[in-house]
Amino acid sequence: MTPHVHDSELDSKLLSYWLDELDETQASEVEEHLFACEGCAARLRELLDLRNAVRAALRDSRFAAVVTPAFVRRLQAAGLRLREYHLLPGGSVPCTFAPTDDFVVSHLHAPLAGVRQVDLVYDDGYSQHRAPHLPFDASAEEVTVIPPVAMLRNLGTATHRMRLFAVTPSSERLLGEYTFNHEPWSST
Amino acid sequence: MRTASHYARGVPISAAFTRDDDEAARLARRILEAASAGDAHAEAEFCRQFAPRIRLFGLKRLRSEAAAADLVQDVLMLVLQKLRAGAVHEPERIASFVLGTARQLCIDARRNGGRRQRLLDSFSLDLEPAATPELHAPDEARLQHCLQALPERERAVLIMTFYDDCPAETLGAQMGLSTGNVRVIRHRGLKHLRDCLVGSGGAT
Repeated sequence: MTPHVHDSELDSKLLSYWLDELDETQASEVEEHLFACEGCAARLRELLDLRNAVRAALRDSRFAAVVTPAFVRRLQAAGLRLREYHLLPGGSVPCTFAPTDDFVVSHLHAPLAGVRQVDLVYDDGYSQHRAPHLPFDASAEEVTVIPPVAMLRNLGTATHRMRLFAVTPSSERLLGEYTFNHEPWSST
Repeated sequence: MRTASHYARGVPISAAFTRDDDEAARLARRILEAASAGDAHAEAEFCRQFAPRIRLFGLKRLRSEAAAADLVQDVLMLVLQKLRAGAVHEPERIASFVLGTARQLCIDARRNGGRRQRLLDSFSLDLEPAATPELHAPDEARLQHCLQALPERERAVLIMTFYDDCPAETLGAQMGLSTGNVRVIRHRGLKHLRDCLVGSGGAT
């Protein structure tokens, strides 16, 4: 069967149900329906498969992610091994990635009060990549970046830089530059 | 087609979906009519239809694959017992009956640890739930591409939501965003991700 609801609306409703965001009456209605409709039950299973795949991709750190400090604490609470670097604006740090690390986390501290939009420019010495409109919590005064482990694992000696910009419709202002002096892991 | 505005206007959620429980009702009637003689084919088909739905319900309520698998067996055993005994009076509402049984068993689970094994010992039908995990798992490389192609905020909201089933209210508090704003970003991100995975978009 084909649900009458547009697929994306259905996904959002099913996800709200799954995340316990619906009130008791709404959740009960969705539950009743899932027991009577194979198509919607299959759609929820598909959504959960996608969730599991995203979790696996995150665990393998196959992509870069900007997260929140609270999310980093959730990773720690789950027993994942994090190598963390805290940098102030203008700061630099020697860094590496150990075989036993699950993630590297870069805490880029910056004065974010009153800032509406933050963009990140990533510079690996050869090319620059701009990531606009980062998620951030101004009260935390930091942007938290998890670079992809696959990239770090194969990285030799290198200097990478991240720059944060406060962006308005008419201008942008440098919030800070952060330098990472990477060395391959050495156990000695 | 119904849209989010239907929900906003207070249209019941159930009215926004179609139902396909006629087939389940037909199977329930066949099992009722066969009574103690049994209709193995109808029972097997009944289990095939409902096992995945009970499993989902169990995962949602119990957050455990093993507990959900146990629930599937328990619910199907009890429902089939009732059907064989002629104790289901509205087969056209069999889906609601299965759900009610599942809800009750979740409540009873802690109180009746030994009941489950007694039921299992007395039941001969194979009630192993269909193996359904990862049926729709997307291609890894494609998923990586599509996640990387999402706008930063959408990617962040999706991964922080999916990682440990974090609701919008909690995530909003952690991101300095309203609950509604997180839901909008999540909705867009999920749509972009889906579109990219099926090849109809570059994620944005």
